[in-house]
This record gives sequence, C-alpha cells and structure tokens, in this order.
Amino acid sequence: MRKSTTALLLLLALVALAASIYSWRSLFRNWRGAGSASASMDVNEPDVTFKDLQGQSVTLASLKGKVVLVNFWATWCDPCKAEIPDLIELQEKYAGRGFTVLGVAMDDEGKKVVEPFVQTTEFDAGGHSMKMNYPIVLGDDDIATKFGGLFGYPISFLISRDGKVVKKYLGSLSEEEMEKEIERLQ
Amino acid sequence: MTLAPRRGVRTASILGACSAIAACAAAVVLAGGALRARQNGGGLPSPSAVVKPHAYVSIEPVPREKEFQAAVQVEIARGFHVNSHTPSEAYLIPTTLTPNLPAGFHLAGTMYPPGQLEEFPFSPGKALSVYTGSVTVRLRLSAEASAPLGATTIPMKLRYQACDSTTCLPPVSIPVSVQFEIAAAGTASRAVHPEIFSASSTK
Repeated sequence: MRKSTTALLLLLALVALAASIYSWRSLFRNWRGAGSASASMDVNEPDVTFKDLQGQSVTLASLKGKVVLVNFWATWCDPCKAEIPDLIELQEKYAGRGFTVLGVAMDDEGKKVVEPFVQTTEFDAGGHSMKMNYPIVLGDDDIATKFGGLFGYPISFLISRDGKVVKKYLGSLSEEEMEKEIERLQ
Repeated sequence: MTLAPRRGVRTASILGACSAIAACAAAVVLAGGALRARQNGGGLPSPSAVVKPHAYVSIEPVPREKEFQAAVQVEIARGFHVNSHTPSEAYLIPTTLTPNLPAGFHLAGTMYPPGQLEEFPFSPGKALSVYTGSVTVRLRLSAEASAPLGATTIPMKLRYQACDSTTCLPPVSIPVSVQFEIAAAGTASRAVHPEIFSASSTK
C-alpha cells in the first residue's frame, strides 16, 4: 500500500477519534445528571397543536416571537405542583416582556379534572395567593412524542423567540436559573 | 529480497493501528449515543420498569369448593415510591390490583398493605402514604364447584404511579398472572409460600 494512502487512513482515524471525544465533552458539559437536570438543545420547535380548556386550538407556531416555557405537568404530580408558584411568578414578572409559560396538562381524564383544578386551586406565589395565571392546554401521548417522548414530570422546554427549543429541564425548575435564561433570550 | 515482506508487515501494522483507532472512535460514539438516548428520557426508567411483580398462590393444588389466597409481591426500584392503595390526598393515583377472574372463581376481598408516611423534597411538611421496597397485595379467593379442573391462570392488572424525589412517572397498568392447578373437591393440598401467606407477613 502506498505511504500516502496509509497516512490518509491514519489521519481519518484520528479525526474520527477527536470528533467522538469532542462529542462526549459537549454531552457532559450540557448535562448535570439525572433527576433534576437541564440540557441545552438547538432544534426547531415541534409542529404541535394543543386544545385549550375552552376547546380552542393553540399552536406553538402562533407563539413565535415570544420566549415560551412549555411546562408539562399533571394534577396528580406533586413535584409539578411544587413548581407552579415559581411559574406564576415568572409569568407575572415577564409576561409584559415577550415571555409566556404554556402549561400542558397530561392528565388522562383531560379537561374534566384539569379545569376545576385550574379554576379553584390557589398557590402561594411570592406571599400572594394566586391561581395559575398562564395559558393551560391539554396534552396527550402524540404531543409527548413530538417533544421526543416524555418519561417523567415535570418536564419543561424553553423556546426562543425564533422558534428554537434551546433548553430542556427535567424535574423542578430553578426560578433563578430560569430568570437568567429568559433575560438572555430577551 | 526481504524488503517486500517488511513493507507488507509495516503496512499491516499501520492498517491495524488505523483500525484500532477507528474502532475506539466508533465505540466512544456508540456509547455516547446510548448515553444520549438515556438523557432523552432524563435517565429515568420507563414506568413499567420501576416495579417487578411476582405472583404466588397459597395452596397447591387448589381443590374445588375451597378458599385460598393469591398474592402479588411488588418490588419497587430503589429510589422510587408508589402511592399506597389509600393515598394521603384524593388527587393522587392509588395502587390497585384488579383480577380478571375466569368462570368458577369468586373474589372475597383484596388486602392491601398499609402505606408508610413519608415526606419528600417536593412535599415539605406533608407526609404522603406510599409504598417503597417490597410490598405484598393479597386476594382472598374461592374455587367454586364449577371451576375447570387442571392448569388455571388468573390474569391481573397492577396499576400504580411512581415518583422519585424530584420527578413523577406517568401512571401505568402492568399485567401479572398467577398459575396453579385446580383439583377435584376434597383433594388433599399443601400450604406453599408461607413467607408470603403467614399471618405475620402483612408488608
């Protein structure tokens, strides 16, 4: 075999090794471990149409131009409920600055259980008793699949103004970290 | 004369080195891919993988016209809990065991273990009634005179909803079944699995 061919093969093998090591480094840089964790992403938002509690269609595309935090939750999920006061505060603080939380309720019973919960449950948000002040829509398995399949709740996706999913959060959100991200995306 | 073989050996060793490096790279990429796949689920198992059920019957064989028990021992993965049959809050999804009895059997009752009261980081100051580790649900059954003789299976559905300390998995129903023999009325039978069915084994 000619020297040039072997040198080329060696070079290609080294490039492959370097690329794989870089891939692993980025993987670990973006992930803090299982449980309560976040991961950076850079993919187009899925083409999803939700139904709100009044039966009206809500598309993710219709929210383009806003920073959107898509928060999957359920009425039976205590960790989901624990972060609702923070979501209420984020909505209160940033709704006027091109941000919204979009709560996607994943209860199998749908509107029957979600609507009374949303209408009657008060949360202690920053010392104020408040109901959920952000739009709530209903989710299902098809919608979950479009977000890459959801194994656990709460899980949230942060979407930039131009419709890119930039971050995924599994487990409870840190309000402080969320504020930083929202400010960054303004 | 010897130059050609030496060059061949050198070429072979360079090719071998390239192959080894490429193989290492491929292994790193594949392992990274597997880790990424885990991370897409956040490192969480699927809901059906959190619980392993094992089914037992209290006597063998089971004679017609005799009462007996079936039990499902539920092993819950470390770090996870499921709501008990009587959760602390009405909105929580209880653990239930539902048999689909074939003709010739009667269900007298289902005995669930009591839950343990535990606090979690997401419910400070509020103890929840949960199952962790290993718990056993028992069914009081009777084989009627019409129960079909021979090998019998009772299929059941175990429904539960599991959480760890930060995240909850969707509710799931998993199948579990118990197999045993039905014998003629009056046939002698022996107690089996005393560790499951003794009066003291209520957990």
